[in-house]
Amino acid sequence: MASIKVSVAVISLLTVWLLATHTSAGSYNCCRQYTRGKIPFNKIKGYAVQTDTESCPLKAIIFLTESNRRVCTNPALNWVMDYINRIRNKAQQVHKMAQTHT
Amino acid sequence: MNVSEDGSLFNQSDDYSDYYNLEDLVSPCPHDNNQRTEMWVGPYVHSVICILGFLGNSLVILTYAFYKRTKSMTDVYLLNVAIADLLFVLSLPLLVYNQLSSWSMGSVACKLLRGSYSVNLYSGMLLLACISTDRYIAIVQARRSFRLRSLSYGRLICGVVWAFALLVSIPTFYFYDRYELSHNTFYMQGEGEQPENNQTSKPPQYVCEFRFNDSDVAKSVKLAVPGTQLAVGFFLPLAIMGFCYTAIIVTLMKAKNFQRHKAVRVVLAVVVVFIVCNLPYNLVLLYETISKFSEQSCQDSDTVQIAITVLQPLAYLHCCLNPVLYAFIGVKFRNHFQRIVRDLWCMGKKYMTPRRFSRVTSEMYVSSLRRSVDGSSDQGSSFTM
Repeated sequence: MASIKVSVAVISLLTVWLLATHTSAGSYNCCRQYTRGKIPFNKIKGYAVQTDTESCPLKAIIFLTESNRRVCTNPALNWVMDYINRIRNKAQQVHKMAQTHT
Repeated sequence: MNVSEDGSLFNQSDDYSDYYNLEDLVSPCPHDNNQRTEMWVGPYVHSVICILGFLGNSLVILTYAFYKRTKSMTDVYLLNVAIADLLFVLSLPLLVYNQLSSWSMGSVACKLLRGSYSVNLYSGMLLLACISTDRYIAIVQARRSFRLRSLSYGRLICGVVWAFALLVSIPTFYFYDRYELSHNTFYMQGEGEQPENNQTSKPPQYVCEFRFNDSDVAKSVKLAVPGTQLAVGFFLPLAIMGFCYTAIIVTLMKAKNFQRHKAVRVVLAVVVVFIVCNLPYNLVLLYETISKFSEQSCQDSDTVQIAITVLQPLAYLHCCLNPVLYAFIGVKFRNHFQRIVRDLWCMGKKYMTPRRFSRVTSEMYVSSLRRSVDGSSDQGSSFTM
């Protein structure tokens, strides 16, 4: 019968632990829709890739704008991939310049 | 390519004409309302379910362990349902804790918790369907009752149910993993290919979710897993229970037995509770699965998520009600239960050496078994009213 007391204690501890949890979810935020229209390139600071092989259902490119807004775009569109290539090229240039300086 | 050229080329007014309706910009869905709901439902409602489910189901298991040996097919089923439900509610606090914060346990815990959740869900639901067929055979097919409702058959069927539940859960074990979502990592302009987390001050956020190598596999598994859960974990047991209990009620209504109304009420309670608890959640799950891969506004997506957050615990509540609906509703079981409470009370009060557990005398048992097997003479007996 000691086993009952132990399990009751365990279950109460689990409950207290559960109640003490702070919710900090939000990492799940997925794009569920794409932006129609186009964003000017000079407003973009960076990008992230949402793949459908993880928990999100859609594939998307998330652009981060100057005002720190995340914008969902469709990776099937040409301008989206064009922007990504240009960000990458820029990065390559920065990388080369940094190498020549050192 | 020149950096300044980049800017000037695409800084033209024709770009602005496409853009800068700020309302047209679509952002990742924050699901604010759902998060607020989760903050309440997560800890509080799940704690209540966990405590109730733990108490009810462990009392059923204790009763079988110490006071009442499993002597019939019904006993085997009831014990197995209690075990499945107990394991289910025990994994619940760990799952909820990890879901509310970043998944702090490892990848193995992620696979094991999600997998066992799935196994216990399937076995619990399928065993309820088995109980309904057991009662159907006892009452409607009373003549075959002796042959089909043996203890060994019961154990064999339970073994098959558990093996099947495990088999159906293999994709869950295999594809669930703990990882950091890649869409939270931003590649910034002019800072090289070094990925920069946007929230550098925060520690990395891990999730325990599906992960695949291939997009096509991802799509089919994301449809197949909830699809199987709906088909095997809800609609199949619903259909079996619907058929069996309808036939039972028809048979009971024809019988001339003063206890039949009580038995009909028990049957109706079992069916109504099953439907009220599980149907709403499964309908939302069905809708979510169908609409998953099409574009959806954040508001709609938020609403669906809130519905899931609220209706899922209602489905979990079923685990707490099973001990009452199936075990404690029986008079025999209630007597054993009272004995447990008395013994526990005495022990807690006096700290004396454990009493000998008063087992049911075999005489009593044989007589009750005879009554319950012989369905034609006492049709309500399978419910041990």
